[in-house]
Formats: sequence, C-alpha cells, structure tokens
Amino acid sequence: MDAAVTIRNPGLMTMIVDLGRNGYSDMGVPSSAALDGYACRALAALLDSPDTPVLEVTGPRFALRFDAEVTCAITGARVKAFLDDVPLLPWASFRAGRGSILRVREITEGFRYYIGFAGGLKIDRVMGSYTTNLECRFGGYEGRTLMGGDVMSLAAPGQPDIRILPDHWIPPMASPHRLRVISGPERDYFTSDSLATFWDKDPQELFSTSRHLNRTGIRMKGKPLLFRPEVQKSIISEGILPGTVQIPGDGLPIVMLYERTIGGYARVATVIRADRDRLAHLRPGDMVYFERITIEEAEASWKEKKDRMEAFPLSGK
Amino acid sequence: MIVQRYTENALRIIFGSVIDLEIHEQVRRAFFICRSLDRREILEIVPSFRACVIIYDEERISFPELAALLQERLADLSSVEMPPPRIHEIPVRYGGEYGPDLSFVAGHCHLRPEEVIARHTGELYTVYTVGFTPGFPYLGTLDAAIAAPRLETPRTRIPAGSVGIAQRQTGIYPFESPAGWQIIGRTDASLFDTKHPPYSLMQIGDKVRFYEVP
Repeated sequence: MDAAVTIRNPGLMTMIVDLGRNGYSDMGVPSSAALDGYACRALAALLDSPDTPVLEVTGPRFALRFDAEVTCAITGARVKAFLDDVPLLPWASFRAGRGSILRVREITEGFRYYIGFAGGLKIDRVMGSYTTNLECRFGGYEGRTLMGGDVMSLAAPGQPDIRILPDHWIPPMASPHRLRVISGPERDYFTSDSLATFWDKDPQELFSTSRHLNRTGIRMKGKPLLFRPEVQKSIISEGILPGTVQIPGDGLPIVMLYERTIGGYARVATVIRADRDRLAHLRPGDMVYFERITIEEAEASWKEKKDRMEAFPLSGK
Repeated sequence: MIVQRYTENALRIIFGSVIDLEIHEQVRRAFFICRSLDRREILEIVPSFRACVIIYDEERISFPELAALLQERLADLSSVEMPPPRIHEIPVRYGGEYGPDLSFVAGHCHLRPEEVIARHTGELYTVYTVGFTPGFPYLGTLDAAIAAPRLETPRTRIPAGSVGIAQRQTGIYPFESPAGWQIIGRTDASLFDTKHPPYSLMQIGDKVRFYEVP
C-alpha cells in the first residue's frame, strides 16, 4: 500500500498506542494502553476512526511529512502545531495535502499528545492490540519507538468531514495536578498522621513529579509516608491496577501506569478512573496533590466521564 | 476466603496471608474456575501468591452481584476436578557470561558454584504467579542454602532467558528486560511467543525443573 506519512522528527519519544492489550493479565501481559484514554477517544471521534492505532508523542519538535492527502487530528496536550506555516486548532481535524509538513513547535499545556489519521495507520495487531510494549519490544511499529525516516501507510484511507471539539471539552492539564484517590488495600500500613497529610484536603501536602518517570510509573518527591513500626515495608506481590499508588521503603509514592500487572509494594491508594488520564500530563517538576474520596464518588465521576466520552459534541468547522 | 472490594471495577479474593503451597493451590483452583465461568463481565483475572484480583465490567455486573457469584462458585474449591500440572524441564547454562552473579551467590552462601547449581537443579519448583514482564514465572521454593538478596541496583538490560534468584524464589526472564535478581544462568527455552496462543509457556500451578547443559 502507498506511503501516507513519514516521520521526520519523533520529538522526545513517539510510539504507536491504542486503548490497550487487554485480557492477558494472568500471563503478566500489561495493557500498555495510551496514557490519556480521553484524548484517544476524542481523536477517534474527530476522525471517525474508532479502534485504530495512533501516535503518542512526548515532548515538542515532532515533525512528519504527508505522502498522500490525509485527514489528521491532534488531541491531548495543548500544542503549537503547524501544517506547513498554517497554525492548527487544538482538538480539531484538518486535511493535509501530499507533501505538506506537520510540525509541533511547542507544548503549552500538558505533556503527551496524540496524532491520529482517518482510516487508521496500517499496523499489525499483536495479541489483539496495536499498542507497543516498549520494555519487551513487541506490538506497535516493530516493537519500538518511531524514528526519523519511518514510513507508514493507511489501513482504510478516507476523508471524513472536518470536525472540531468545543474548547471547554478539552480537560485542564497544567500543574498543579489534583489526583483524586480511593484508599488502597494496605492503607493501614501507614500512620494516621501521614495518611492525613497524604490525602486530606486540609492540610494539603504537595508532591512534585521527579525525573524518574516513564510509562511504567511516576516517582514523586515530597514528604515521605511513615510506615507503622509493626508492619513489613513490602507485601507479597499481588495484582495492581493502573493508577495504583505504591509506597516503597523510602515512603515516597510511585504512581503505577499501564505496564505492570502485579506489584510488591504497599498500595496506599488508587487514583480514580476518572482522573487517570491526567497522569499522562505529569512532567518532571510538576506539582501534584492527592485527595481522598469515597468509592461511590469515584464511581459517579467515572460514569460522568464515560457519558462524556460517548457523546463528544463535534461540529463542522 | 474473603472477597473484598478493591476499586471502582476490581475486587480481591484473598485466600491467606503467607506464601505456601496450600494457599497457592486455592488461588490456582479459583483462577481456573473463574476462567471457566467464561463470563464477559470478567475482564481480567490476576492470580498471585495469596490472592486473585478480578477486574470486571461494572456496567454489566455490580460488586455485590459478582461477589455473590464468586462466593457461590468458589465455596468448595477442594471438590473441583483439576487438570494435572504441566512439568517443564528447562536447560540452563550456568555461570560465566550466562550467569554473571553465580560466583557472588556462591560466595554469599559459602558454597562452591557447582554446589549452588546442584541445589538449584535439585528442586521441583511451582509457578506461584506469572508477571513482572509477560511470561515471567515466580518459582518457589528455592533452597534456603542458596537464597541471596536482590541486587542493590537493578540492571537496566539483561538477555532473554536469564535465570535469576532472589530470596527464596527463582525465575526466568522471558524478554531482554531490566532485572533486579541475581543472574546465575541462561536458558535457550522460549518462554513467551507473542505470535502463537497460548503465548506463555508458563501458567500458574505449572512445575519446573532446571537441568544443567554445557
């Protein structure tokens, strides 16, 4: 099939993702999903291309060339993007002519952005998913991040109408990040004082995102949680979910993402489903605060978010 | 057995609080039963040493409904007919470039390297859980005489097939990946094939024996 796009500059890191390689946790296969699922679903809606592989890009200076006429869109982090010299609207589709160049010069809010193509990139599924397991090098584009010169074609080229998502449907992605949590199975491993500082609104303890941040997890810096003297500082490894806040021996939180099925550190809390997409946008140095809510409140927030994702109010441009 | 709410769409089934074969056997039985239910509400089953985590579709089933179903189906684990465990014989080249930590482990345990190998190959291990990376089996129980601590600083990349030990466990790294265990050898056996079902050589409850090859 004919070339549709050629990567010119992958920025900090670009990889192929989808909504996850799901259903294989018992054999240790993680989901490796797009970190911002809301942005991915909006992208699919803008391009009328559900269940297709898209690019997850970290950092500015991304560039690609269109080798055919393609309808494209960018969601996720707010960026200053240009098609040749024409600035592009955020979270909107656009038609790119053959030979034109897409450049992302700057990120103005957030960290990761998603680029999708009407008809979807032609990528083989591995274990039911297009997404890349970078650590074990399978799925996606040859199991690796994209490099300058990589060429991809489209699975089912089409030219859907140009659409835009209203600006107030773009979620906030700037620091400080509020992460709502529900309490985790090992909450009682910690002193009540340190739990209060960790997740109570008042006084609010700020954590900062460290440089130790990748698709497996995000290490936080800040006031360490104190283990009760009588408990072990690790647990017998057990299943974890994305958003699990683990506390290793040093007391500093690690928020797990989509690359592990089990973990051996105390699980003090879980970031609620409705707030997990925000984790895609934590940059080194960003401030974070945790806020505990009830599981019922978490369920209600997720229901609301899910309803939103099923009814993106797209309009023509 | 305790069924406990975990998150908006996950629960834990807890069978005990320690690592032992009896608790493991209950987890294994519960895993096979949950899988054989073949309910589309159940999205992921994550069995581990002493518990199963189940992720479910909360739009199709509520926590109380699923908890009640599981309580009923898992009430009498001992009467369930189970397939006999599979036994995997795994060839390993020990020491040297294949097992850079064999001499450390020997020194740590006050044994000669060949004694470490003899003890490592002398045991029939049980796959307690599969995880960390796809297809990685957590094998127990390692002879206490060759137990060694994890590396203080994990290696960022080790070759696929590396055989490691940590405390009372041993395991095999199916992929080139980061590794925090003491690497004592390497196998040519393929532990994970992303192209062909059932993908993972190892599943919970399988048995493993290592043998030395030159």
